[in-house]
Amino acid sequence: MNAVQVHLLVNHFPTVAFSIGLLLFFVAIAAKNDYLKRTSLVIFFLTAALTIATYVSGNEAQTLVRDTPGVSTAAIGQHETAALLAFSFMQATGFFSWLGLWMWRRASRVTNWNLAVVLVLAIVAFALMARAANIGGEIRHSEISAAADETGDGEAAESALRSWGDYVEAHTWVWPTAESLHFVGLCMLFGVVLAVDLRMLGMGKSLSFASLYQLLPLGMLGFTINLITGMMFFVATPQQYTGFLFFLKMMLVILGAINVLYFMLVDEPWTVGEGDDAPARTKLVAASAIVIWIAVAFCGHMLPFLGNSF
Amino acid sequence: MTDFLIKIEQMGFCQWIRESDSVFAYSGVLLLHTIGMGFVVGINACIDLRILGFAPALRLSALEKFSSVLWLGFWVNTVTGVILLAIHATSKLANPDFYIKMVFIALAIVNLQMIKKQVFRDPLVDKAPLSAKVKLLAVTSLFFWLGAIISGRLLAYVGPK
Repeated sequence: MNAVQVHLLVNHFPTVAFSIGLLLFFVAIAAKNDYLKRTSLVIFFLTAALTIATYVSGNEAQTLVRDTPGVSTAAIGQHETAALLAFSFMQATGFFSWLGLWMWRRASRVTNWNLAVVLVLAIVAFALMARAANIGGEIRHSEISAAADETGDGEAAESALRSWGDYVEAHTWVWPTAESLHFVGLCMLFGVVLAVDLRMLGMGKSLSFASLYQLLPLGMLGFTINLITGMMFFVATPQQYTGFLFFLKMMLVILGAINVLYFMLVDEPWTVGEGDDAPARTKLVAASAIVIWIAVAFCGHMLPFLGNSF
Repeated sequence: MTDFLIKIEQMGFCQWIRESDSVFAYSGVLLLHTIGMGFVVGINACIDLRILGFAPALRLSALEKFSSVLWLGFWVNTVTGVILLAIHATSKLANPDFYIKMVFIALAIVNLQMIKKQVFRDPLVDKAPLSAKVKLLAVTSLFFWLGAIISGRLLAYVGPK
C-alpha cells in the first residue's frame, strides 16, 4: 500500500466521524442529554487525533501524484491550504472537547461555556473540512471540478504554505526557537505522564488518583505546544516528514490520545485512593502510557538519524 | 590543555560514539539526554507549578516521592552529557553557550535543594498557605530550567563547530 492509498483510505474518516459527532452533539443539546454530550466530545477528541494522521499522510501522497497526467497541481495547492485551515479548527475543537471532558469528570457536569465553544469550533471546522475534502476530490475527479482549469489560484494557495517555509529558511531564529518550545512541551507532557502513571504503578502511593488528575491539563498543554511547533516544522519542510518512522510517531500519538481517555472515562482508576494499590488493568494502561510517550520521543528524535530528515 | 582535549576526542570510544551509525552511538546518547531532560524538568515543573497553586488537591509533601525519578534523569543526563562533551571537547569548551547552560543547571539544582529544605522539610507544608518566598523559588526554578533547555538547544547552533 502506498501513501496515496493510505491518504485515500484515511481521508474520509475525519469528515464522516466528525459529521456523526456533530449530529450527535445537536441531538444531545436539544435533548439536554449529558451522556450524549460527553459521547460527542469523545468523538470530537478522537477524530481530532486521527486527523493528525490524515493531514500528514496527504504530504507523502502529493509527492507521488504530482506528476501524474490528469492531476491538477493547482487543486493540490488549494487542497493543502484548505486542509491546514480545517485541521487547525479541528485540533482546536479536539482541545476544547478534551477540556470539557476533563472538567466534567472533575465537577461531574459539563459547563455551558465549554459546550458553546466546542459547538462554534465544531461547526466552523466541519464547514472548512467539507471545503478541503471537496477541493481534494478535484485533484483527480476533474468532472466535479469548477476550479480545475484555474491554474493561478492553486499556485497562489500553495505558495501560502511555501512562504512559511521560505520565512523559516530566511530567519535562522525560528527553527531553534520552535525546537526549544518543542522540548518545553515534551517536559510538561513527560512530567505529568510520569507522575500520574508511576503513581498507578506504585510510586508515591500516598497520593490519590483524583488529586493527580488535576495535573492532566498541564500535560495536554505540553502536547498542544508540541502539536503547534511540530506543525511549524512540518509545514516549513514537509519533504522531511515522510517514511515509516514519522508515520509510526503519528500512530503512537493517536494511541496516547486513546490512553489518556481511559483515565478520564473509565471508573477503575478513580477507585485508587490514598495508599491504595491500583488494579492490574489500570497498571497496564499506566505502563503503556509511559512506553507510548517514550516511543514518541524516540521516533521524533531518530528522524534525522534513521528517517528522512536532515 | 588543548592537546589533552584532542586526546579525549580521539579516544576510540569517542570516535565510535561520534561516527558510528548505530542507535547506541551518538543518536542514542542524545536520545537518552532528551528523555533524561523530560524526567528532570518534567517532575520539577510539576513541583513548581503545584507550589504556584496549580492542582491544589495534590498534596505537596507526597510529591517529593517522585524526586527519585528526577534524580534518575539527572544522573542519566550527567553521564550522557559528559559523553556528549567528550566527543566534541575542544569546540564545546570554547563555546560560551556551554558555560551558560552549566550555570543555569547549577542554579536550578541549588534552587531545587532550597525548595526541598523550605517546602518538603516543612511539617506544616500541607496545612498552612505557602509563603511568597517559596513561590518565588518556584518561579526561579522554572526560569532556570527554561534557560537550561534553551541554552542546551542552542549548543547545536552557536559557537565554534
